[in-house]
Amino acid sequence: MESTRLKRIVTGLVLVALAALPVFEPHQFVLHMLSLVAISATAALGLQLLLGFSGQLSIGQAAFYGIGAYASGLLSVKLGLPFIAAFVVAGVIAAAVSLVMVPITRLTGASLAVATLGFSILVYLVIKNEEWLTGGSFGLMGIPRASLFGYVLRSPASAYLLCVAVAATVYFSLLRLQRSRFGRAINAIRQNEDAARACGVKVTLLKSQCFVIAAFVAGLAGSLYAHQVRYLAPTDFTFWKSVEILIMVVIGGMGSLFGAVLGAAVVVLLPEVLREVGDYRMLAFGAILMLVMLFGEGGIAGFLEQCLKPFSKPRA
Amino acid sequence: MPEALLEAAGLSRRFGGLAAVDAVDLRVERGAIHGLIGPNGAGKTTLLNLVAGALGVTRGTVRFRGADITRWDAARRAQAGIRRTFQNLKLFAEMSAVENVSLGLHAGTRAGIFAALARTPGERREEQQIFAAAQRALEFVGLGSHAGVAAGKLPYGHRRLLEIARAFVAEPALLLLDEPAAGLNQTEAANLSRLIGRMREAGCTVVLVEHHMDVVMSVCDVITVLNYGRKLAEGRPAEIQRDAQVIEAYLGRGDAPPAGKNARAVA
Repeated sequence: MESTRLKRIVTGLVLVALAALPVFEPHQFVLHMLSLVAISATAALGLQLLLGFSGQLSIGQAAFYGIGAYASGLLSVKLGLPFIAAFVVAGVIAAAVSLVMVPITRLTGASLAVATLGFSILVYLVIKNEEWLTGGSFGLMGIPRASLFGYVLRSPASAYLLCVAVAATVYFSLLRLQRSRFGRAINAIRQNEDAARACGVKVTLLKSQCFVIAAFVAGLAGSLYAHQVRYLAPTDFTFWKSVEILIMVVIGGMGSLFGAVLGAAVVVLLPEVLREVGDYRMLAFGAILMLVMLFGEGGIAGFLEQCLKPFSKPRA
Repeated sequence: MPEALLEAAGLSRRFGGLAAVDAVDLRVERGAIHGLIGPNGAGKTTLLNLVAGALGVTRGTVRFRGADITRWDAARRAQAGIRRTFQNLKLFAEMSAVENVSLGLHAGTRAGIFAALARTPGERREEQQIFAAAQRALEFVGLGSHAGVAAGKLPYGHRRLLEIARAFVAEPALLLLDEPAAGLNQTEAANLSRLIGRMREAGCTVVLVEHHMDVVMSVCDVITVLNYGRKLAEGRPAEIQRDAQVIEAYLGRGDAPPAGKNARAVA
């Protein structure tokens, strides 16, 4: 009980700090980077549900992220749809496309990982080669800024707040799911599929639902990305992006929503921080990833929880 | 003959060339505690898996409450009221005891993704009911004070009881217990016998696969003996103890007889 209260306090403080940040008028590059963290965190939260909760290893989330980004960008540029509509439809399209994953939910472990990776490569090639629709290697330009109710979010601060609001909404929604009948059932599937079946859990249905939710969330993140960066290139959505999202979840801590956010922050910000070391940037990045995994399976979130433990126990 | 709760006719299951279960007829009457015994490899667990839907049949039919359920998958059978435990415990090790039991109520409850996101009053009420029922089931098996403990951290005997609670919580019409006494000491086994009796009083029909002869002989109304995948004998415990074929099946393998006073386990 004490430990959940402490977590609530920490979560509340983090949220207040994030919302109040623009008051201190940080450099707009900082706000832009933090917006990208929030966008990546959103995609990582979706994968946390899929991998951390239901135990399905997908290396294909960039596909849905890319579909959401291009759907939102194209709907805005070619059809002139307002941002809100493009944003929601992008999520729905990504979710709809994820239904092709239903037949492969019977796969597990490495087979599932490779199948989703294959899907990621496929979507990248479609984006790259269907020039009539996506602009191909030239990319998609002229994507308008996000807007809400006719008010265009021109300032980096307002765009940042939008990204944080979406990430926070996804975070608390998935937290509710985690603590529900649905959340317990997918957790049960991860721990013992046979036993879940014997309890009457429709394993294939629930696994598919997880894919759809994760894809929907990745699609929303993609839409935010499109309107944040305002230029999309196929190279943003190679399988490396899928790997990045996977890294966020694993170093952040499997099964922890807070961990997914921390992992996103690390993966997005670390290369920037490491600019100092120039050519050795990615080398240092790789080494740090390995070090973090030495903390154990709990990742960064698990490590922090260990640190907080002495404070959360009621004194004897 | 009146309709039985469970009627399996000509059930067969082959693994490659081996007939693990071979043309077995099984009739389980409503309210009975029906024992399923036999030497190792006799096909007891396979037969249980066929009834639970964990394995598909090669031939034969399974009828439950008069309906042909042969093609139903395990989840659908669970929903219809057939619940089971596993020989090698399959718990959700990271979840607490009460959460494990709450899973047993998954099939009978409804709240889905949208209800959970909106925290509808119906969803909150259902969650309360689930956890209240799960707590009652824990108390029923004697684990009431362990609700918050992770299943993987419970001692072995408690884990066996927890699995029974998870199966029993849904008030199933048919409860399939796969060697629930395995690894239990004499006191725990006696407790288990009483628990099985109490579950019958609560309305469950029980099929009991068991090696522990004290348990089998004390609680079962009917015993079916399997050997090499075929039905060897069937009858009341006293009849089975005297059955020459049964004694030979056990003795012939150089094992202890099934009915000795101190025979804890056979085969």
